[in-house]
Amino acid sequence: MPDSPAIEIVDLRKRFRGVEAVRGISLRVERGEFFGLLGPNGAGKSTTLGILTGLVRRDSGRADVLGLDVERDYRVVRRRIGLAPQELNFDRFLTIEDVLMYQGGYFGLDRRRAKQRAGELLEEFGLSAKRRETIRSLSGGMKRRLLIAKALVHEPEIIILDEPTAGVDVELRHQLWSTLRELNRQGTTVLLTTHYIEEAEALCERVAIIDHGEIVATDSPRSLIAQEGTGAIEITFEEPIDDVPPPLCDWSPLIDGRRLTLHVKDPGRRIGETMAVLQATSRTIQDVSMRQANLEDVFIHLTGHTIDGKASDGPS
Amino acid sequence: MARVEREATAVRYDPTGMLAHYRRECHRFLRLWRQTLFPPVLTATLYVLVFGKSLGSQIREIDGFTYVQYIFPGLLIMGVINNSYANVATSLYVARTERFIEDLLTSPLSYFEMVLAYIGGSMTRGLLISVLTMTIGIFLIGLTPAHPILFFVTILSVTLLFASLGTLAALWATSWDNVNMFVNFVITPLTFLGGVFYSIEMLPEPFKTASRFNPMFYVINAVRHSVLGASDVPFLLSIGLLAPLALGLFALCVHLFRIGYRIQS
Repeated sequence: MPDSPAIEIVDLRKRFRGVEAVRGISLRVERGEFFGLLGPNGAGKSTTLGILTGLVRRDSGRADVLGLDVERDYRVVRRRIGLAPQELNFDRFLTIEDVLMYQGGYFGLDRRRAKQRAGELLEEFGLSAKRRETIRSLSGGMKRRLLIAKALVHEPEIIILDEPTAGVDVELRHQLWSTLRELNRQGTTVLLTTHYIEEAEALCERVAIIDHGEIVATDSPRSLIAQEGTGAIEITFEEPIDDVPPPLCDWSPLIDGRRLTLHVKDPGRRIGETMAVLQATSRTIQDVSMRQANLEDVFIHLTGHTIDGKASDGPS
Repeated sequence: MARVEREATAVRYDPTGMLAHYRRECHRFLRLWRQTLFPPVLTATLYVLVFGKSLGSQIREIDGFTYVQYIFPGLLIMGVINNSYANVATSLYVARTERFIEDLLTSPLSYFEMVLAYIGGSMTRGLLISVLTMTIGIFLIGLTPAHPILFFVTILSVTLLFASLGTLAALWATSWDNVNMFVNFVITPLTFLGGVFYSIEMLPEPFKTASRFNPMFYVINAVRHSVLGASDVPFLLSIGLLAPLALGLFALCVHLFRIGYRIQS
């Protein structure tokens, strides 16, 4: 169906042993879009991707890919999706080239075409020298690249990546970002999950913030920051602190040892008020800085905690 | 709109994906031929040498065959059973626990094709072992299948039956112990008690009657009839029990894949 979105999810629900992992998620990813699901571990991101790709059965709700139901029309849907899972799951006895060739075979490439496609991808991802070796000889970064190459072997219209840069170094992360940007530029719809704020901000045209199995906001990072974003005032004290003066409790304070971060809409206008409150206490201030809002501030504002699960030390 | 939807969802049948997984399954056991093909053939050869050259001469003929000729079909089918079971049981269990089965589950293969490819790989290993072991029989004891077509049909049924059982075990198992438990506590004892080394006519009652309730008795007698032309029960009875059982278990495997039993959340 040419007019249908790349992905459309309506009121999707999934429960595991009594725990509701996905609680009525609805979202729409347009064709050609670069879309991110941003949330902490356990938020329901991987479960949502699992439902789209055939690894998880939904309890209720609708999940369509290119206008087709992911369970009823699973064969057509899966042919048009490439999945790079979070876990580095490989058959340890296969060579790198075999991994890609069998994957191509699953998606209908004959042996000649699968070999040719494997060669192209190995070249593109800098793995050609390892083609005859098994997975055991690859570094973590190489395995991550191979996972993405595997997802691309059948040239899918949609690529779904679950935490594609988890655990990789900064250099490789930027290489992978540039590969994903190029894929998207060529027309591939990209849906990724991440718990790296900067990744979502750098790559995604739109982001859905997901927490405890629910989507709390969906928009472009810029719009989210404009609508929800609060800047921050960061105060560093000489001694560690363990409480926040009451007048500052409404500004989603976050204590980290000697540092106190206050999330406020307009930090420049609030600095005087903040200093007045702090000077009334006996604490010695070592440093004060301000920064404008970013997606992390939006996340904290919307969920009441940081993306790695650290709770705000006051009402959000 | 309905016509457009039908066009979009219709998949022209293309076996490439299933054949790719079948090749992967065969690749696995062929690469490890020293562990997968050689040992059962060596074991059958040792049995032939021990029972043929030493102990066998002390035992009287059965149904006009030397003792080693009489037990050979049972020895052959033991190797076939163990290997057609073990191939898929190991491969699927490892794929499940190390989670690279996700490659298959996110592919466009139908659940029927996934099972057929797994079981096809196992059946191929069983068939290869039957051919290699039969070759040993031809050269060492001058035994050729009395009914080659029935022999082929029997091997197909037996490999399908035990590959399906291996698939069920791999889906159900939560540890290697579980995978091996079925072989150690069910298949091997029933095979030995099913008449590999004797005719049930040699047993006193009630063991003679009890043997008829052992499914392995029919497996052994089907292959014995196809190789020797003689058995304790008619071939049609044996194959008439085995083939539907094998097809039923295969259908159960497909059903379990379709509902995602222990492979999807």
